[in-house]
Amino acid sequence: MIALRLADVWFAYADVPVLQAISLDIRQGEAVALLGRNGVGKTTLTRLVMALLRPARGAVWVGDRNIEGRAPEEVARRAAYVFQHADQQLFARTVWDEVAFAPRQQGVGREEADAVVASALRRVGLDALGEAHPYDLPPARRKLVTLAAALAQRPRLLVLDEPTQGLDRVGTARVATVICGLVEEGVAVLAVTHDLGVVAEAFPRAVVLAEGRVAYDGPSRPLMLDGERLAALGLAEPPLARLSRALTLPDLPITAADVAAALVDRCRALASRVSSPRHHAEP
Amino acid sequence: MIVGYTPGRGFLHRAHPFTPFALAGAAIVWAFALPAPTGPALLAVVLAAVALAARLPGALGTALVMAAPFWVFLLLIHWGFGDTPGRALVVGSQVTAILVAFLMVVAAVHPARLVDALVARRVPFAVAYLLAATLQAVPRLRERARAILDAQRCRGLRVSGSVWNRVRAVVPLTVPLVLGALAEVDQRALALEARAAAGVRHRTPLAPPSDTTGERVLRWSMAAGAVAAVLLRVLW
Amino acid sequence: MTVRLDGVTFRYPGAPSDAIRNISAACAPGAVTLVTGRLGSGASTLLLTVAGLAPHATGGTRDGVVETLGHDPASAEGRAALAGRVGILFSTPWTQLSGMAYSVSDEVAFGPANLGWDRARIAASVTRSLALAGAAHLSARDPRTLSGGELQRVMLAAILAMEPEVLLLDEPTLELDAESADALVALLPQLAEGAALLVATTDLDRTVDVADRILLLDRGLLVADGAPADVLGAERAVVTGASTAIAEITRAAGCPPPYPLTVDAAVRRFGE
Repeated sequence: MIALRLADVWFAYADVPVLQAISLDIRQGEAVALLGRNGVGKTTLTRLVMALLRPARGAVWVGDRNIEGRAPEEVARRAAYVFQHADQQLFARTVWDEVAFAPRQQGVGREEADAVVASALRRVGLDALGEAHPYDLPPARRKLVTLAAALAQRPRLLVLDEPTQGLDRVGTARVATVICGLVEEGVAVLAVTHDLGVVAEAFPRAVVLAEGRVAYDGPSRPLMLDGERLAALGLAEPPLARLSRALTLPDLPITAADVAAALVDRCRALASRVSSPRHHAEP
Repeated sequence: MIVGYTPGRGFLHRAHPFTPFALAGAAIVWAFALPAPTGPALLAVVLAAVALAARLPGALGTALVMAAPFWVFLLLIHWGFGDTPGRALVVGSQVTAILVAFLMVVAAVHPARLVDALVARRVPFAVAYLLAATLQAVPRLRERARAILDAQRCRGLRVSGSVWNRVRAVVPLTVPLVLGALAEVDQRALALEARAAAGVRHRTPLAPPSDTTGERVLRWSMAAGAVAAVLLRVLW
Repeated sequence: MTVRLDGVTFRYPGAPSDAIRNISAACAPGAVTLVTGRLGSGASTLLLTVAGLAPHATGGTRDGVVETLGHDPASAEGRAALAGRVGILFSTPWTQLSGMAYSVSDEVAFGPANLGWDRARIAASVTRSLALAGAAHLSARDPRTLSGGELQRVMLAAILAMEPEVLLLDEPTLELDAESADALVALLPQLAEGAALLVATTDLDRTVDVADRILLLDRGLLVADGAPADVLGAERAVVTGASTAIAEITRAAGCPPPYPLTVDAAVRRFGE
């Protein structure tokens, strides 16, 4: 099942061409990271998906529908979008009401809506903060509120713009877990990001834009392990992939769990040397 | 729609910042004081011509777009309630003239030059900055409102259709606008302090506005013209 | 010492707890000092306190002694004496725009003009700081048309143009792509030569290589102050989640501390 299809999409701001001949299919249950330099048109692409912008040429399909002529609020029935900056959408007095906005908008019954909101807040780890005022929370938490609000839309396609920007390692790990969970449920995820660490954890496929075109579309693993190619595309090799390569770990793992597992034996060897240094020093 | 400074090289751009303001001030007085109905109508036409000559077609266009609903409303009242047609023409011309004058000034006066000009006349920097920033606030608010509208529509907010839909859309659209503007004021206060904009004692004008005798005479004559129009109106 | 904090505690207005608590540290030019911790640990607040913006602009209450270039930066006398001598750069460059400039060079000149320098000095300073920040090619552009990365470089130039003796960077790479972020980080050692430099950051993977010293905060307390390998390689930093990806992974794999911080350090460690 196709969740999103871009067919030969072109876009320009006034006379400045931004996107050229973009074709892209994303299936349900697929997580795709959209990468590239600042200003290359990643956010523009996601705005085309939500019908916030119209392509000059080509077609955008969300699910089985061509969204030409559709309004963003119609696209929102299938797709949810989390903006880069939380402050442009938070309006409710409590986190709970903020997250309940979409289910209420969709006309979902009270009990069902409550269940949806509770589950969305639990997923992002904010279940204890339902009664808090969104603007009293620090920016990183606010960002998670907007993610929960998008989850409560129960989208088949989730579009994220820099979902881990401004989060620390713990917050980033939480977002990665949420994305992996959605993918298991068959939701398609498209995320603009600069954070190749989270790509390694949660996005098996990567699309890289360069000069308005798709410069790479394929599995993210080989890309993460190709330092030269990454540099040419303006991306920095993530530290774990670099470590994996530098130590030539078996099967070159790139996720935190796999790298840690591959390092266990070496670490054990180190630990035994540290705990009994004299053993080696004095025969 | 363009509301805000637009870089350019027309004569209002090159003029001392006070001159366009004098023109706008005089225009407002003339709009009400000149003999109706020809006075205000003629004034609107003259100002439109000035806007074009000053290479500010964007400001003129915006002013006309903003004035259009007034015209529709006034003409409806005229036909619906049998008001005199002259009355609609007069009020419509007054509104148009004021909008053209105001938007022209906002588009032509570089805020930094305005600040420099005011500071040169011993206006405190903070007051001058506040005035210049207020004149430029509209574009930023519009941009922000646009972003909020986009975000809420992506969450399923219906902004078209029934009146009920529109009413319900007010809170999700205005609350982030107000809170966001307040947050931005805080951040801006920090940023301006960081750039030595608090407690400025002697600011260096970067491009000191040049004032010619001709312009000074022009400003005084516009002021005199405004006073004369009022006197004529009162005494006639 | 250029900057000296002695027992400094700060609380935002209406906040239930202190943002920073009883912090004592000193800082001078010549070293890249990173202030780090998990988000909300107080690193940004520490910078605001050094600049005097906390409590002067933020409100709230401060205890203890802050001495920046010999003045209390939050006092009226200190603010007058320190105008332009303490530069602070935030992560969101667009909120730092003067709103009065339609070219990058005018934007950069805003601060020096407020200081009342003569025009020749302003022009020279604008040119020099734009070049230093790698933004000379942008000087004629309208700042509102720049990308986030370009704008951040321009705002850095705008701060440098005032020739600050204390330079405070608050999450400067947050909005930048990999190349722009690396370029900014590479600039830090040079910036530290001319000014006492404090950088609040959680992006340790990127910045640790150029760091000379780390101030590690945990919930407002200064829990460690020293060389990167000592502070960030220790159990405490890794457990609080304020270390590098490499340190975290080697700990997760069961390595004994101190944990290596970078790929190169890990290769050396495992190659012993």
